[in-house]
Amino acid sequence: MQISVNEAACEGHALCQLAAPDVFALDDDGLVQLVHEQLPEALEARAEAGARVCPVAALSIVR
Amino acid sequence: MRDVVVVGASIAGVTAASALRAEGYRGRLTVLSEESRPPYSRVPLSKGVLGGTQAPETTALPALPDDVELRLGSRATALHTERHLVELEDGDPVPYDGLVIATGSRARRLGAPGQGGELVVRTLEDAEAIASRVPGARTALVVGGGFLGMEVASTLNRHGLAVTVVDRDPPLRRLVGSWLADLVVARARAEGITFASAPDGVALVGDPVRGAAVAGGGELHADIVVSAVGDLPNVEWLQSSGLTVAGGLVVDASCRVAQDVVAAGDVTVVEVSPGVFRREPHWTSAVVQARAAALTLLHGAGEPYQPDHYFWTEQFGLDLKMAGHLPFTGAPRVSAGDPASGSALMAWFEGERCVGAVAMNHRMPVVRLKAMARAA
Ligand SMILES: Cc1cc2nc3c(=O)[nH]c(=O)nc-3n(C[C@H](O)[C@H](O)[C@H](O)COP(=O)(O)OP(=O)(O)OC[C@H]3O[C@@H](n4cnc5c(N)ncnc54)[C@H](O)[C@@H]3O)c2cc1C
Ligand code: SF4
Repeated sequence: MQISVNEAACEGHALCQLAAPDVFALDDDGLVQLVHEQLPEALEARAEAGARVCPVAALSIVR
Repeated sequence: MRDVVVVGASIAGVTAASALRAEGYRGRLTVLSEESRPPYSRVPLSKGVLGGTQAPETTALPALPDDVELRLGSRATALHTERHLVELEDGDPVPYDGLVIATGSRARRLGAPGQGGELVVRTLEDAEAIASRVPGARTALVVGGGFLGMEVASTLNRHGLAVTVVDRDPPLRRLVGSWLADLVVARARAEGITFASAPDGVALVGDPVRGAAVAGGGELHADIVVSAVGDLPNVEWLQSSGLTVAGGLVVDASCRVAQDVVAAGDVTVVEVSPGVFRREPHWTSAVVQARAAALTLLHGAGEPYQPDHYFWTEQFGLDLKMAGHLPFTGAPRVSAGDPASGSALMAWFEGERCVGAVAMNHRMPVVRLKAMARAA
């Protein structure tokens, strides 16, 4: 599983980070960055939960 | 717990279901939704979708895992807490061991019973209905100058409509305080919005609706008339449940409602001081509550959740991110930029204590903004 980020859509509300700080981080401009290039399997459920709370639907789950 | 039912499949319901799985709950998980569309975000509705510039599909939330049964078009009509049953409009009652109530709210309407054609913005269908009328319209009237009404006005204005906003109170003032409200309203005026005041309210006129009569004088007419006058928690289906409703479903500090019942999101109210119940009908609060509700259901009432007072709005070219307790009183201290130029980082103080921070067209990590507002 992977998370795909629509960088143009991200508005930096940090909900993803709040839900899964070990998966999502924010850069200095306040835009989303993935902590892991390759998502560890153990973090998949958290990553999914983080992706689902984005208010602008900028994150999608790729299987 | 082997059988959890979630009623409502918007951000609170979806987050609760997601959190239950992420926390290791492996039993049955059923999510009931009255809507026919799969879960989506309402946030873009008043922004891109309303103007027809953002495709409705782009609002979809990532699908729930395969081991969650999402039942669309399933409206709950009653709850029997002692028998642990949710009754449906169509179909057999659904039993549960654990229940998450996330039925949110609906748009408040102003029209008289039977009066047709009132437009509101709550669902994807609502936004599509307005978007489909934009191309043939020249003028719009927005009733209500809150966040939603002002966003709707901004979007319609960007599409070339002449927009009037009418409200009892000065727009946004009650919500964000005079200083920030005045700044946004000045910006809206500069972009061509007309503001009308109706201290005693308005009544919609026409069937279908084509304007509003201002109490005590005059009528305003427009091609598109949108009511943005608040929302009402969806609690009617709980009427005979015995659960406590006080302007919303009452939850405690860990989102518990009763034995085996939790709730989250726009449907809820929290008792902030004895006898005073408050809603916080925003995205962040729905997410934070939903996660707390899931934990409480699985592990019993635990730690009170940490409320997260973060909200944002986009209107008239201003991207406003706000942390802290709204509304903000008085003028802010400017930490960066210049409010007059449209880009600034501002903080409101009570004595030496920072009580709120706003980033206006100013890029920075939201965690830092929240940290400012929390700084003692
Ligand atoms: C146009 C618009 C723009 C917004 N913009 C912002 C913003 O910029 N920032 C922000 O923080 N917040 C914003 N909000 C608020 C935010 O969207 C809400 O706080 C959030 O949607 C609340 O989620 P919820 O899941 O609690 O409830 P809702 O989103 O109201 O969802 C409840 C769901 O339950 C369903 N339901 C109701 N009754 C039943 C029943 N009896 N049986 C089965 N299903 C039922 C409903 O059909 C609905 O799908 C906006 C809201 C709107 C409408
Ligand atoms: S929740 Fe969405 S908008 Fe917010 S930082 Fe994460 S990806 Fe960006």
